[in-house]
Amino acid sequence: MSEWEKTMRFRVKAEVEYSARDILRLVYQALKEKGHNPVDQIVGYLLSGDPAYITSHRDARTLVRRLERDELLAELVRHYLEEEKGA
Amino acid sequence: MVRATTGTLGEFEGLDPLVEPVPGRGWDVLAVWGGARLAGTIPVSAAKNAVLPILAASLLADGPTVLRGVPDLEDVRTMCRLLTELGCEVVWQPSRTLRIQNRGLQVHEAPYELVRLMRASFLVMGPLLARAGRAKTALPGGCAIGSRPIDLHLKGFAALGARMEFAHGRIQVEGRGLSGARIYLDFPSVTATENIMMAACLARGTTLIENAAQEPEVVDLAGYLNAAGGRVRGAGTDVVRVEGVDALTGCEYQVIPDRIEAGTFMLAAAMTGGNIRLENVVPEHLKAVVAKLREAGAEVAEESDTSLRVRGPIRPRAVDIKTLPFPGFPTDLQAPAMAMLTRAEGTSIVTETVFENRFLHVDELKRMGADIRIEGRSAIVRGVERLTGAPVRATDLRAGACLVLAGLMAEGITEITGVQHIDRGYADFVGKLQRVGARVERGTMA
Repeated sequence: MSEWEKTMRFRVKAEVEYSARDILRLVYQALKEKGHNPVDQIVGYLLSGDPAYITSHRDARTLVRRLERDELLAELVRHYLEEEKGA
Repeated sequence: MVRATTGTLGEFEGLDPLVEPVPGRGWDVLAVWGGARLAGTIPVSAAKNAVLPILAASLLADGPTVLRGVPDLEDVRTMCRLLTELGCEVVWQPSRTLRIQNRGLQVHEAPYELVRLMRASFLVMGPLLARAGRAKTALPGGCAIGSRPIDLHLKGFAALGARMEFAHGRIQVEGRGLSGARIYLDFPSVTATENIMMAACLARGTTLIENAAQEPEVVDLAGYLNAAGGRVRGAGTDVVRVEGVDALTGCEYQVIPDRIEAGTFMLAAAMTGGNIRLENVVPEHLKAVVAKLREAGAEVAEESDTSLRVRGPIRPRAVDIKTLPFPGFPTDLQAPAMAMLTRAEGTSIVTETVFENRFLHVDELKRMGADIRIEGRSAIVRGVERLTGAPVRATDLRAGACLVLAGLMAEGITEITGVQHIDRGYADFVGKLQRVGARVERGTMA
């Protein structure tokens, strides 16, 4: 029996869990590094759903699609209201 | 008799591609041998329908515009000639990069010889009006797929404060110091949305375009305008807001992938029982196509955020298709999709709601043995066991792609004339098909 015919065990790297907050931060950073206006681009994506607003740099486009847009918006609203309460 | 050549139609300016043969060579023809299962990888080119408006928008910028990955298409060459006529320096650089520098607009008229070749020439009207305060052109040409009035463009220009004059088949638009306005489009026209966006970029105040087109190409134009210093918000939704700025600088920009080219190859894979990986795609732009292909029995897998794989069934199932503005099923893929349905199991209904004269490919498909009946804006397609190769004629760009795809699954050889239409919108179409195993050759016929 050749090496390739034996039963093998693969260790698959677990996919990292990202929160909405992590995703927004990472996407913001990637857009900034590519010279875009991050706020305008993220707003454009949230409004239209077109991922072309988000750069592929640092896998930002893949990341932003891990959550639905309403989840990202909910995080933004929640964060804003918490900040307001603390002010 | 087909004879292979390597020439392109770029050398033969000013010909009517439908009726005039290539001088000294005869008619350009594509010969397609049916029966191959397509397999391999195809890198998708940048979108023609995004590149053309961005090229027109470069007239607005003071500094240079550098576009990367520009596709080698007849329409792109036509637009470059138009920009040169208007006073721009247009230089091709390595890796399909195009550099455009506005040298000051000396001419404000788009010549009839170029406008009649390509409808998108009309897109220079908005930038010319914004930059020079006046613009003149003949009524636009393009594919013969029905009446596509320009009244929505003119309505938008008028709302911004421009005056119109029609005489001798030409339109003159004049208006210095345009002002922002609220404009409702009766229909979400892509080119009207784009033309108004460009004109409003240098207007005083804010312009709201309501019932705007939501196509990805509109988003890409907004992306270019913003990268060049403009302020366009809401592109990709039905309300686009443009805040006028004093000037646009140049910028470097990468155009989005061509969703229609991607969709065409996805259909080719599905209808030949093939297995094709498409690279450089935005899967979200293809949702309607993916849904219909899955309904027809194809497997479509998103392999990354820029690649898709399509595996075709042995024989596709019949599906109903209705064309709609984005995010609906694109009218530009109606003809290629119909090619697939001619051999599907069952009866499909294809309804065209965007253009009224877009079934010109039906008679040609019938020559190959397809069973199609037109009823108003719908085509009833009864799938047949087999198509047979025949001499056919492409009447427009997407009809040309449709006939090539039909030829790929037909028995024998299909000879297609009117190939020039395909050159307008598909970069290296034959080469890409050959690389995934299709037997397609270009030649001339005396």
